[in-house]
Amino acid sequence: MKPAGRLALGAAALLALPLAISDFWIFIAIEVLAFALYAVSFNVLLGYGGMLSFGHAAFFGVGGYAAAILMKKAGLPPGVAFAALPLVAMAAAAAAAVVVGYFSVRRSGIYFAMLTFAFQMLLYAVALKATGLTGGDDGMTGLKPPGLLAQPLAYYYFALALVAPALYVLFRLVSSPFGYALRALRGNPRRLQYSGVDVRAHQLAAFVITGAFAGLAGGIFALSSGNVFPGWLNWTASATPIVMAVLGGVHSFLGPALGAAVYVVLEVLISGKTEYWPLAMGIIILILVLLMPEGLTGLARRRTA
Amino acid sequence: MILEVQGLAKRFGGLQALDGVDLSVEPGEFRAIIGPNGAGKSTFFNTLTGLLQPDSGRVRFEGRDVTGTPPHLLARLGVGRTFQITSIFHDLTALENVQVALLAHARQVWSLWPKARALHGERAKQLLSLVGLGGALERQAGTLAHGDQKRLELAIALAGEPRLLLLDEPTAGMAAQERLESIRLVHRLAQELGLSCVFTEHDMAVVFAVATRITVMHQGKVLAEGTPAEVRARREVQQVYLGVPA
Repeated sequence: MKPAGRLALGAAALLALPLAISDFWIFIAIEVLAFALYAVSFNVLLGYGGMLSFGHAAFFGVGGYAAAILMKKAGLPPGVAFAALPLVAMAAAAAAAVVVGYFSVRRSGIYFAMLTFAFQMLLYAVALKATGLTGGDDGMTGLKPPGLLAQPLAYYYFALALVAPALYVLFRLVSSPFGYALRALRGNPRRLQYSGVDVRAHQLAAFVITGAFAGLAGGIFALSSGNVFPGWLNWTASATPIVMAVLGGVHSFLGPALGAAVYVVLEVLISGKTEYWPLAMGIIILILVLLMPEGLTGLARRRTA
Repeated sequence: MILEVQGLAKRFGGLQALDGVDLSVEPGEFRAIIGPNGAGKSTFFNTLTGLLQPDSGRVRFEGRDVTGTPPHLLARLGVGRTFQITSIFHDLTALENVQVALLAHARQVWSLWPKARALHGERAKQLLSLVGLGGALERQAGTLAHGDQKRLELAIALAGEPRLLLLDEPTAGMAAQERLESIRLVHRLAQELGLSCVFTEHDMAVVFAVATRITVMHQGKVLAEGTPAEVRARREVQQVYLGVPA
């Protein structure tokens, strides 16, 4: 099938999906949308830029908290606060990413990963201790979109209306000259530098842009789950986009989105059956990764090739 | 002078890697730097191009002081470089390798929306044909033969339209016959494009085939400099490097 045809089919499926499933599964579908954006934004850094961040959850978390604070503490009418939410979540996450990225891109490889990790723990501590703003250990609860948008179906379409364009923007980004240079610096930053590119500035820009989209994902998810917790910023949370990206395939733009869908749905199915679901998830992911080193999309490519 | 280096020094711990190197290159020169392993040739290139900060000394490019200028800014001024260990973008196609360099040269890498695939394609193909890779446009660069990777790196460097090209062992790892062909290709392109070149090299046949002048380095210093005939005749050069009888 031609790309345009596949795109139309995908769009139709996403539009029709919530009409065919229960409210419970609509909530899950919203979660999938948010995590798909989160995982794809993470993978623009990893799969295209070769930058393994252990702190991407920081920006998802900052976006979530920014949304929660905006809705609960800013003192704005709910409609106004809600309208500003996407932009505020992105701006807050981008601001955090500027600071974290400024220091982190000075190192590469595992040192870059450790710096992002350290900053994330710092933000975790802030979420935990700044009780007046964040609710501390208890997090912030009782979040919901205003009026009709609180209906799962309506909120699904709202989330889709944000996630789909966001994914398209990220897709254009990786296909743009900026994206070409990002792919080039993954393999050989020095060569790129000697061709006249300020590699650090380029990496920082990629870090901030992807951080902003992770923030948008966090903001979207906060209002569907109804709460945010410091755990969103804990270091274990940063494993989630890594697993989703690897599961779906880091060499495909939408692979991590597929990985996010599989991960979220598996988690729901298994956690309903047993309290040992992390164990079961671990085993399933282990098997999937061992059988499909290129992820789910890699498997599909090998079939069609 | 297109390049003027005065008293360039660099120390790593107890090792004086560069010990006051002077070098003057006229426009249009094809200058060879020779010297045994560890003579400081690669450190010289790295310090010259701002990858390493010199402890002392000055570097002027076209009369402008560029001492310690970082590589990306130096590249924008018109200094190109290739590496001893071939440095290309392995997981991009040959065409994309050159396209990226052209995008960088045109200062378009901050352009976030247009599709890059459509940009600079013709020029990239032209450059790849110039170095003899016109038939390998869509090949993944990492799968090219070693000599072809070296030629690809040359095309990447030429994409930046440098006026001075620094080549660190452009024939490293090649068979004897391929080495001569390779350096002659660089030499011919440099003449056609009006570039000045400085290259390091171990193979004397290659050096004497194309060099207009030769600088001999030894233990971080310039030991001798002159035309190929003069350098060949210098006794201390024969002792440290060429082997007697030359």
